Amino acid sequence: MFELKPMLSALWRNKISALLIALQLALTLAIVSNATVIVQDRLEKIARPTGIAVSDIISVTFMPVPVNYDMASAVAADLELLRNMPGVMDATVTNQIPLSGSGSASTYFTEPNQEIGGENANYYQTDEHFIDTLGLNLVAGRNFTRADFDVIGPNDTYEPRVAIITQKFADVMFPGEDAVGKFFYSGGDGKPREIIGVVERHLGAWPSWSKAGQVAFYPLLVTGNHKRYLIRTEPGQRDVVYKQIEEKLAERDPQRVIHLDTLSKKMAQSYVSDNVMVKVLSAVMTLLTFIVALGIIGLTIFWINQRSKQIGVRRALGATRANISRYFLVENTLIAGTGLVIGMAAAQVINHFMVNQFSQPALSMATLLICAAILLSVSVTAALAPAIRAANISPAMATRSV
Amino acid sequence: MIGYYISLAMRSLRGTPILSTLMIAAIAVGVGACMTVLTLNYMMSQNALAHKDDVLYAVQLDGWDPNEAADTANELPWQLTYQDATALLRSDIPTRQVAMHRFGFTITLDESEMRPFTADARITTADFFGLFDVPFLFGGTWNADADFSPVQQVVLSKATNDKVFGGENSVGKTINLNGEPFTVVGIIDHWNPSPKVYDLNNNPFADSEEIYIPFGLHRKFEIYSWGNTNGWSHSNEEGYEGFLQGESVWVQYWVELDTAAQKEKYEEYLTGYIRQQKEQGRFQRPLKFALSKPSEWLVLNEVLRDDNRVLGWLSLAFLLVCVVNAVALLLAKFLRKAPEAGVRRALGASRNAIFIQHLIESSCIGVLGGLLGILLSLLGLGGVRQLAMGRIDQIASMDWLMVLAAIGLAVLASLLAGLYPAWRISRTNPSIYLKTQ
Amino acid sequence: MLKMHNIRKSYRTDTIETHALRDFSLQVNEGEFVSVTGPSGSGKTTFLNIAGLLETPTGGQYLLDGEDVSSLNDRDRSRLRNEKIGFIFQGFNLIPDLNLFDNIDVPLRYRGFNAKERKKRIEKVLEQVGLSARAKHLPAQLSGGQQQRVAIARALAGEPRFLLADEPTGNLDSLMARQVMELLEFINEWGTTIVMVTHDPDLARRAHRNIQIVDGQVSDLQHGTVGAAREIA
Repeated sequence: MFELKPMLSALWRNKISALLIALQLALTLAIVSNATVIVQDRLEKIARPTGIAVSDIISVTFMPVPVNYDMASAVAADLELLRNMPGVMDATVTNQIPLSGSGSASTYFTEPNQEIGGENANYYQTDEHFIDTLGLNLVAGRNFTRADFDVIGPNDTYEPRVAIITQKFADVMFPGEDAVGKFFYSGGDGKPREIIGVVERHLGAWPSWSKAGQVAFYPLLVTGNHKRYLIRTEPGQRDVVYKQIEEKLAERDPQRVIHLDTLSKKMAQSYVSDNVMVKVLSAVMTLLTFIVALGIIGLTIFWINQRSKQIGVRRALGATRANISRYFLVENTLIAGTGLVIGMAAAQVINHFMVNQFSQPALSMATLLICAAILLSVSVTAALAPAIRAANISPAMATRSV
Repeated sequence: MIGYYISLAMRSLRGTPILSTLMIAAIAVGVGACMTVLTLNYMMSQNALAHKDDVLYAVQLDGWDPNEAADTANELPWQLTYQDATALLRSDIPTRQVAMHRFGFTITLDESEMRPFTADARITTADFFGLFDVPFLFGGTWNADADFSPVQQVVLSKATNDKVFGGENSVGKTINLNGEPFTVVGIIDHWNPSPKVYDLNNNPFADSEEIYIPFGLHRKFEIYSWGNTNGWSHSNEEGYEGFLQGESVWVQYWVELDTAAQKEKYEEYLTGYIRQQKEQGRFQRPLKFALSKPSEWLVLNEVLRDDNRVLGWLSLAFLLVCVVNAVALLLAKFLRKAPEAGVRRALGASRNAIFIQHLIESSCIGVLGGLLGILLSLLGLGGVRQLAMGRIDQIASMDWLMVLAAIGLAVLASLLAGLYPAWRISRTNPSIYLKTQ
Repeated sequence: MLKMHNIRKSYRTDTIETHALRDFSLQVNEGEFVSVTGPSGSGKTTFLNIAGLLETPTGGQYLLDGEDVSSLNDRDRSRLRNEKIGFIFQGFNLIPDLNLFDNIDVPLRYRGFNAKERKKRIEKVLEQVGLSARAKHLPAQLSGGQQQRVAIARALAGEPRFLLADEPTGNLDSLMARQVMELLEFINEWGTTIVMVTHDPDLARRAHRNIQIVDGQVSDLQHGTVGAAREIA
């Protein structure tokens, strides 16, 4: 009933046009499926839990103007001021801003005086308020106390005595063991650092780093020519507080330059290239599918116009409207199916190239099949309107000349 | 005859407005997407030092961890240690040489209402301006002895001078950096190479620095780099001096070697330097150093990232689909006009004449699609600029070359698309269209 | 003027070879008005297409104006078609989106005349067919007879020596058909050789000479070269 054989021979006579549609769909599938895996990969990366209350945090960087500046007292006074501001939940001092793409890392060992086989971790110099300020979740051990906190100069040699680390770093350093109470060491050094607590998760300064999530925190203030604060506000209060901070800090001490950012913005900047990839690829996929659909509509209309007399004859010979529509839809499905099968092979070849040359993620069969199914439905949908129109061609066309 | 064909083409396009719009849109979107990405890639691949590509070299030495090579493209640390940089500065082989790194200062002015602000600074030796061809508006650089002794002089960028001194010749005036007085010795003209080939460590599309400070001030101000500082060993010495004499790399180093002989001599010198350091227990890895031209440096630092290349290929594939689409639509359109072509053949048009007529119709679609494509790529670049949050403002713009390339690409694409349909229509037997059906 | 000797033309599809013309020989002299008749499928149109250089024969010799055109390339054939041959069709075959002026302009463009010369010629032939006032009209705005007169004007604009007409009155009512026929006779009197394919025996009789094509061969009674009588399926 599908008149498959005459349909195939009709297609054969129009092989170039049919081939062009199939080729378009093949290329589109190859592009769209490969773009989809990249988009998926980047979206997953961006959506990784940070462990941080990102949307409520403001970061402050300040640089004092005077040469001999009492950084330690300034930090103490600023934090006191910030913590007492209405709308502020907590504030802490830090050497780096999380998710900002700028920070410090070091190599650590489980034994003293080692030089090889260490593990990398991003490290913070902060105080006992960091857990509440960042919104971290302490899963084992205890937080720092004021007694753990030290202040040193930028050129002082100093090894911290205690540290809190992330679960991820703990798992790397002491797989399968409870890290609390264990000691770890900096490279070529014999001074032990005791792990007093473990936080569930914290992505650290570089979200794109291969070791992102391996983080250590030390209760320490290193005075230098600039310092940073993190301020956590009550939910919804961030923008109100943001407007007041610079003024309040400048009021307390005008002899400095203050720079504010929201953590949301810092995070967005860190993910900017991933975000560009996601948006550009999505736009390309949408446009591509749209263009192919328009092409299919255009060609189906042309095809039907060309065969309107033939359709009239079929109608005159007793074909129902449904028969006519179905003919064109089945024809379209045949062409699209062929194209998509070719496209699946092409997608695999291109993905192989993408993986090897540009270290992009591998394409799974499931993704490929889903993309193919979507394109097939787009193709059939595009052919639908012209096919229904074809069914409306009058049987009188058969007797009309030209 | 071409004019006749063009007028026929325009008439034909007007005759089938929907199909023509579809084809023009397909080409425009393809060209727009392609040119957006290619413009970005093209701008990212610019070499601001191309005119000195044969004489400038970035210097890398391998004094890294004996147990593990540096984690860079050529397994050499990107930067030098302070002690190596200051040692190399003593060589008189290079015509010019620069040791430098990023830093930042607060800027204030005595007896002024100006609000303090922070300025990006470059701590550098005096040759910076000559080596990188930085043009001076007023004054000039500091004396070379300021590279080794603390001299509080400063060169301002044009923008900084405009901001602080209202654009006047401020040579001889004083500004305070981190509260210390510095004398202005020069103001450079607008200079903002992108990519920032001389410093690719962080964002290669960042703006140039706002102030330039002599290299001899490290000890006096205890200056740490605001760029990357990477280390592998712990220093035995205490304090800032310990940092300076340590194995952390944080100084960027460039030399100008004008002749092959000079380069050869410098390579011998570097070999000798590393040998001598090995005797003192440093440089325990196999003897290795690199001198990279600016063009090589850009490649080595992967300024054009894998993501950009992926997008480049993708956009070309996109254009290919648009071309295939246009082939199909043109074929449909031309075949519908086959009777007219038959009449023209009967009236004396040769196959070639029919072929050229239809090819010209295709290229008209190409030109229109190209013009529209330029608008779309400007939109696309605007969109990418927004998405990139200001990181690539400098490069997300089209120059004339790219505008021409866009039209060229569109015409090429549509000629390619028109080739088969035009050939097909020109080979069709005219007689079948002349009979009344 | 036109001399065909043993022309053969066969069409080949995947499986069947059809002979449209076989050992077809014919001579038409300068200034003659020849009508061609024959049953449907006898090869009239094939003859016309070969005579008009739209198709090449599979074999045999074709001399046009003394020149052997059997083996010319497309460019030269197109040039000859443009300079020496005018076509008139049953369906008129005017280009629908060009106005009368531009329709007549088509062959002159391919001829390479300058704008002034083209304008002069177009105005002249439009006047000859009595349609000067309608130069800016589109074909669809004219009656069938007027359209056919435009088609004749277009055929004449290049001053061809040889006019090929394929059922020129087939789509017209008898009054218009007579007008068109009179126009053709008038043209012929001014020296243009005409070969006209027609179904209409009355029209065929008005020509100087009638040729009948039967099953791909000439059955020219006047000249007694009767082809092999064959049954037509």
